[in-house]
Amino acid sequence: MENSMNCKLVPSVCSYCGTGCGVLFEVLDGELVGTQPLKTHPVNQGKLCIKGWNLHEHINSFMRLKAPLVRENGNLKKTTWNEAIRTTVDAFRKTVEQYGPESVGVLVSAKVTNEENYLAQKFARAAIGTNNIDHCARL
Amino acid sequence: MTIKRITFLQELLSFVGLEERLHLSWISSAEAGKFIDVVGGFTEKIRSLGPNPLKSFDLEPWLKRMDSGQQTETGVQTSAAAG
Amino acid sequence: MKEKIHIRQSVKQWLENGTVDIFLGYRDVEGHAVPHGFTLADLDEVESMAASESRYALEKLAAKIHERHPDKIIGMIARDCTQRALNVLSIWNQLDAGKIKTITVNCCPSQLKDHAACSYLEPEKAGTGKKQFGLDPHSDIEEAASAPKHERFSRWMYEMQKCIKCYGCRNICPVCFCRECSLENDDLVHAGMLPPDVPIFHLVRATHMAGRCIDCGLCEEACPMDIPLRLLYRKVNHIVSEVFDYDTGSSSDQSPFSVLGDKVTLEPKPIHQDTLEDA
Repeated sequence: MENSMNCKLVPSVCSYCGTGCGVLFEVLDGELVGTQPLKTHPVNQGKLCIKGWNLHEHINSFMRLKAPLVRENGNLKKTTWNEAIRTTVDAFRKTVEQYGPESVGVLVSAKVTNEENYLAQKFARAAIGTNNIDHCARL
Repeated sequence: MTIKRITFLQELLSFVGLEERLHLSWISSAEAGKFIDVVGGFTEKIRSLGPNPLKSFDLEPWLKRMDSGQQTETGVQTSAAAG
Repeated sequence: MKEKIHIRQSVKQWLENGTVDIFLGYRDVEGHAVPHGFTLADLDEVESMAASESRYALEKLAAKIHERHPDKIIGMIARDCTQRALNVLSIWNQLDAGKIKTITVNCCPSQLKDHAACSYLEPEKAGTGKKQFGLDPHSDIEEAASAPKHERFSRWMYEMQKCIKCYGCRNICPVCFCRECSLENDDLVHAGMLPPDVPIFHLVRATHMAGRCIDCGLCEEACPMDIPLRLLYRKVNHIVSEVFDYDTGSSSDQSPFSVLGDKVTLEPKPIHQDTLEDA
């Protein structure tokens, strides 16, 4: 099909903070080109902050992580999930053994679900054994 | 066209309360006397108007008035806000 | 109801007989009326075409589509403000008027009609704080201009210093199309400063709206801080009408702001994506 033309606006929710404003993604010819507020959404009622207005740039950014990366000799190398988790676990264990549990801090955010935040604080308190847990909103 | 654009700006600035601070004059480089008069006159005018209100713009007065026990239209006293 | 079915039929016919290549209307998606491009390839989607009380800038979508497909004909539902925006966009070479076909919806408030059906008219009560320190967005420009100078200044500053620099007013504006926006120029508006330089930010935007603003009110609807932008731009339109003798959006004739000189000799110039290296 030559030149198939397509214009869809896809409703979604902004992923930046805990508010959850309704957005509309402008998808032209299958490509994400813009973001608009969803005027009938009860949370934001047609208004967005600067982060919400620029979601499409965030989604299409070349800087977006697409695979786990591990730093070796100062360079980031692509790796598998298992490898990445193993490296992280080893690093945490070594740090706790050498410097004690209080040397580890955990920082969570509003971009992450409530359940994941709960998991993070459980990890900090029960697994690592520290009270050093805080949230980006408190900064 | 220039007169229209300057008039536009003057009207717009006056609408938001920043009037009388923009002036337009056509002066040739041979009209030194006129230049002195126009610039001198306008400088005096600005001096008499005083500093630009933007210089002393301060948000605090509004915050203080809203915090203090000021009566609202419904007659309900707003409570003094804790620090 | 009858009117809605009539529109659906027209859209189907237009797509089938090639009057338009794509039609921009609204679709019901889980209770929300969402803008959608109806095409011949998915003709059955026209059945779910819905009316929308909320106003979206379909003409802005059309300009984006036109840039990618300059030879296609775009149909759309056009409110009165949409019509004015289309005039302005074609004056400024963002759209080819010959490639647009509209189904008009006559909803602007006017003394000539029984009632208006504009979402902007929903009564928004300005609360006590706003009335006391700021400006009622539904007041008219004479009222706003009648107050003494220092009060005018303080009321406008109260409103404008609430700005969170979301650029919503500019992003949603149907007639804002500049690739390099002055409001992102660091010499005028410093990056990283909140609130932005007040009132510079809003006055710069207001000046840029001269000869372009078609008084749709979408900017005020998009402002999270309820700054009475439409009131400000209405004053701009008033000045333009008095000083330049020009009623923005009333026709697609050349505007006194578009080009210096008598004739426009430029062709409509949608810039193709591949000519922009760093877009």
